[in-house]
Amino acid sequence: MTRSALPIASTRLTKANWPVVRAVAWRNVRLRYKSSLLGFVWTLLNPLLFLLIFLLIFSEAFPQVPNYPVFALSGLIFWSFFATTSAHIMGALVENSAVLRSLAVPPMVFPLGQLLAGLFNLCMSFIPFALILHLFGREPHITDLLVIPVVLCYAAFVMGISVALAALNVYFRDIGILWNALLPAFFYVTPIAYPADLIPDRLRWIVELNPLYHFIAAFRTVLVEGMMPRSEAWLVLLGLAVLASLLGSWLYRMLRPGFIANY
Amino acid sequence: MIELKGVAVDYFVQRHGFRSIKSYITSFGSKRLLERKRILHDIDLSIGRGECFGIIGRNGSGKSTLLRLLAGILEPTEGTADIRGRVAPMLALGVGLEPELSGWENVHLCRLLMGHDASSQPRVKAYVRSFSGLSDEELAMQVKRYSTGMMARLGFAIATATDPEVLLIDEVLAVGDVAFQQKCYERIGELKRNGCTIIFVTHFLSEIQRICDRAACMELGTIVKVGSTHEVGLYYHGILGISA
Repeated sequence: MTRSALPIASTRLTKANWPVVRAVAWRNVRLRYKSSLLGFVWTLLNPLLFLLIFLLIFSEAFPQVPNYPVFALSGLIFWSFFATTSAHIMGALVENSAVLRSLAVPPMVFPLGQLLAGLFNLCMSFIPFALILHLFGREPHITDLLVIPVVLCYAAFVMGISVALAALNVYFRDIGILWNALLPAFFYVTPIAYPADLIPDRLRWIVELNPLYHFIAAFRTVLVEGMMPRSEAWLVLLGLAVLASLLGSWLYRMLRPGFIANY
Repeated sequence: MIELKGVAVDYFVQRHGFRSIKSYITSFGSKRLLERKRILHDIDLSIGRGECFGIIGRNGSGKSTLLRLLAGILEPTEGTADIRGRVAPMLALGVGLEPELSGWENVHLCRLLMGHDASSQPRVKAYVRSFSGLSDEELAMQVKRYSTGMMARLGFAIATATDPEVLLIDEVLAVGDVAFQQKCYERIGELKRNGCTIIFVTHFLSEIQRICDRAACMELGTIVKVGSTHEVGLYYHGILGISA
């Protein structure tokens, strides 16, 4: 079992780390609803509860939206993945500092574990969503499967942005505080609870500049309208995913040497 | 076998406070936000297979950083570090234990975090059960309900479950009662007899003299003395200004 003369850097993520990533992801899934009576059921209940609140507040406000509940729930599922996963990934390095300081684990294990846990919860929330779609009389359609590439691009985007934040957060905890303050602002700026065409044309460019808008639009095209996004839309999603991943990996690589002294 | 040649380690430390960020921004990034600090320098060390090696030194002399380097958590900024064999780092007891999960779940998770695969599971389970002295009922319980002692026993059991080739210990045995310490020393002795290389960091000379063959004394980020535990002990007392 002698390891050949390795350079000492075993802290880069390799394929061999997959079991650790999986175990950490599973831990995160378990911990989210640990010690609550309903436990896992909350994954399913949470979006429904939010939906109820939305319906009470907004359903009269947007009469032009057909099937407002479906519209709102698709937005909520989409949003809660972004809000919770980005916040969790951002804190993943700092929160596991004790482990990272005393075991030779690649730091990336923890952000990845949070991403996978977030994706798992996203998949789970598709269950009540499918149920509601069914109640509103929408038939399943083959284009529904396009949600998979949309979610993959979205996950890469969220991961890229959040890893950049996580790396910065090691040095400046202000990042975490700032992000939590900014999240609600993103929620209101992005057409999640309201339709995008409500925004006057002269402010349209703000919406177009918002990366989240493009993801939610594609998400709704596929799941609510049951259509295929146009090829320009795909290009935008892919471009955003690649850009965010590059940003994340660049900042992570640059800042990693100093992690150990600043956790 | 461990071979360190001309090793130096730098840390990048944030210059604290808003002022540093302000001056960073107003200088458009030309001033550095992070300061490079040399933590270890000019380290040459060679430890043979099966040796039990003690490292002593004052607070902040670089002992823990050296251990992190040996554990593979850090890379040398300069020089070369060659460590052969499976390393079991015990830089803190019970690190990675998740309070909300059960004892068994933690065994699984921590073993993976330590870089072991899941294949040796049954043997690990048997060992954990016998070393920790925890009942099956306790091991199925959430770790947050454990006492500090139970946690330490579980932590030590997880770290030493499969025979490592290199065991790194950083003052972790200070926790726990005398009986627990006794048990840990017995296990360390057993590993040593099986040919495991042990590197033991502590403030206490008596512990080093109890189990180590050789020792080193660290001061201000480098190794200032290597020799028998007796020689190093005298040297260390010299630094501290205590007459032996």
